[in-house]
Amino acid sequence: MKKLMTVLLSVLFMSTAHAETKQQITIINNGKAGGSYNARTQMYRDGLVDAGYDVNYEDVGKISQAVKMFKETDKPTVMVYSNNQVYKQDLFHTEQNFILLEYQQPLYICQTNRSKSKSSGFTVAHGKGYDTKLLNKVLGDDIVLVPYKNSSAMLKGILGGDVDMMVNNQGKSFKYMESGKGTCEPSNLLPIMQATVIGSNIDVKQIREVMFEITMDIPFLEYHNSRQLNRPSNTWENELAIVKDHEKQWQN
Amino acid sequence: MEELIAVSLGLFAGTVTGIVPGAGVTVAMVIATPMLMGFDVTQLLLFYMALASMVQFTGTIPAVFLGVPGETNSLPAVIEGTKFNRRMMSQLAVGVSAVGSVLGSVIAVALTFLLLSFLIGHVSVFFSNNTKFYLYIFVIVFCVLVYNRGNVLINITLCLTGYALSLPGESDISSNIRYTLNIDDLEFGVPLMPVLIGFLIVPTLYKIYNDHQRVKQFKGNDVAFKKVLVYFMRCLPSSIRGSVIGYLCGFVPGVNTILATNTSYSVEKRLNPNSPGRQLVASETANNSGQFASMLPLLLIGIPITGSEVILFSLLVDAGWSPFQFNNVANNADMIFRDIVPWFVFANLVGLLVAWPFARQILRLFTASKKYVIISLAIFMMGLNTYLGIQDYRTVLYTVCLIVFGCVGLLIRKHEPIPLIFMFILGNDIEAVFFRQWLI
Repeated sequence: MKKLMTVLLSVLFMSTAHAETKQQITIINNGKAGGSYNARTQMYRDGLVDAGYDVNYEDVGKISQAVKMFKETDKPTVMVYSNNQVYKQDLFHTEQNFILLEYQQPLYICQTNRSKSKSSGFTVAHGKGYDTKLLNKVLGDDIVLVPYKNSSAMLKGILGGDVDMMVNNQGKSFKYMESGKGTCEPSNLLPIMQATVIGSNIDVKQIREVMFEITMDIPFLEYHNSRQLNRPSNTWENELAIVKDHEKQWQN
Repeated sequence: MEELIAVSLGLFAGTVTGIVPGAGVTVAMVIATPMLMGFDVTQLLLFYMALASMVQFTGTIPAVFLGVPGETNSLPAVIEGTKFNRRMMSQLAVGVSAVGSVLGSVIAVALTFLLLSFLIGHVSVFFSNNTKFYLYIFVIVFCVLVYNRGNVLINITLCLTGYALSLPGESDISSNIRYTLNIDDLEFGVPLMPVLIGFLIVPTLYKIYNDHQRVKQFKGNDVAFKKVLVYFMRCLPSSIRGSVIGYLCGFVPGVNTILATNTSYSVEKRLNPNSPGRQLVASETANNSGQFASMLPLLLIGIPITGSEVILFSLLVDAGWSPFQFNNVANNADMIFRDIVPWFVFANLVGLLVAWPFARQILRLFTASKKYVIISLAIFMMGLNTYLGIQDYRTVLYTVCLIVFGCVGLLIRKHEPIPLIFMFILGNDIEAVFFRQWLI
């Protein structure tokens, strides 16, 4: 009888312990010290913790390093990802890795006030990963394309008087307009910028449910609204179709 | 609290670095890297500021007590400090140097405050590619002409080697991957840590380990702080002069504090040829003043001008930093006075405490355990390299690079590697700036 009680108690204890074991998940943040990626990744981390996950938060400075970590991991992992990285990192969205489409925004074309009297021969700042043929098609063949490392460097370049125009993301374009030194217009001819959440070694649908709920939280929505980030909230299938369609834009 | 931790760690690192002859801020930054990788931008800046300030204080201790320069800019302290040592007045020399260093730091802050509105008013000049282009030319010319006793051939070779190491992977102007020699791991570039350990730390540790100079003397009587202050007041004009000279010299890339110390020393030697105290105070004051000034180009516009700042810059960029993290330069300036300056003053006061009353005790502690410290550091650095390799999923590349660069570093140990490290870290940016200058 004593033995039976011991066995029963141990089975009961083990099953309780098992029930309390939290599901582990790694979340990769590829922008350690600032920016909206950092802020949103932290909101996902907090949301996953609230949902009962044991979250391992990996702070990785370089995007290339983060993608390598993501590709090589054998543990459940999620990461916020930008679609303009797909060619550089060869990490495309698939049914196995796509969780949700977080926002999309157009690219902006900004022009300095002092260059408005010019009619041709513009110098144009652009990100190093941008399609130069497409930029020539949109802005003309007589422009001089000036490559910059990232959006911040472009903003500094145009503020420093290096160039007449820049093609930049929404956030930096708004900042430029705040300076009063020029104007910006969204372009419907250039590819849309998107941020997605992707995962590896996970049950995509299960994680989507949790993460979708996080994106519906008030702080998350307020953050998106404050930055004018357009969220095409939709079904998983439609969001994936939108993302794949936009990936084709970067290929053409 | 996080700020206090960063400053405290910086002060501790600075204390150790200053009293280890041959070690410097650059070496200390590399050794502290694993810890620094977890720091945010402000913590990194505070750590560096505390470290660099503290080194200026404690570097004087071995210079005066042992006649060995703790830092390359402590040579005037060696020459004049020895004169104090002979008269059993080493502690007075360290004391007045420390008080002078505090004054130098305060004057540097005041000068920055006065000049800041001018800098902010002309900020867009600093953003232009043109400005960066000429600044980089200036810095490269300094690298070529100043390091390794002005041996141009050696410096050019080091610069080209550093640039060649910066080439594999993605450049700053194109997303195309280049010069990977079909090694997949090189797509992300040559890793920073093996370069730093191989070319900088390995030769430094080798030199320190093989430095058989014995500690012969800890001469000196204890001196009351009041006496130090009275002596310092006699040297006050020299200290103020040294602060201003040091501040201006601090902006000169590559040689800032060395130039600050030696220029101030030379001026004082001319003005007061028979006063070792004034010469010592002027040079040590200039040291701290120059140290603060040298950080301003990095803090305001993101251009590092010293070897250690290049490493700080790399860590800051990894932490997501750009001058625009604080929105604009006016905010950067605000950040400097709100977040950095109070801690800078605090660090200097701690420096005064450590450098003056505890000087001899600190020195004894190090000299008694020197070899153990170096062996531990060597093992730690190898472990660090492997750890970072695992973190980066490139363990083999990290290990191979460390072996190769460590061997080359030992072969060229008689040369200063800063031009190589400078070009390795900034090579991509320099290439992009030069390319844009050609386009614009």
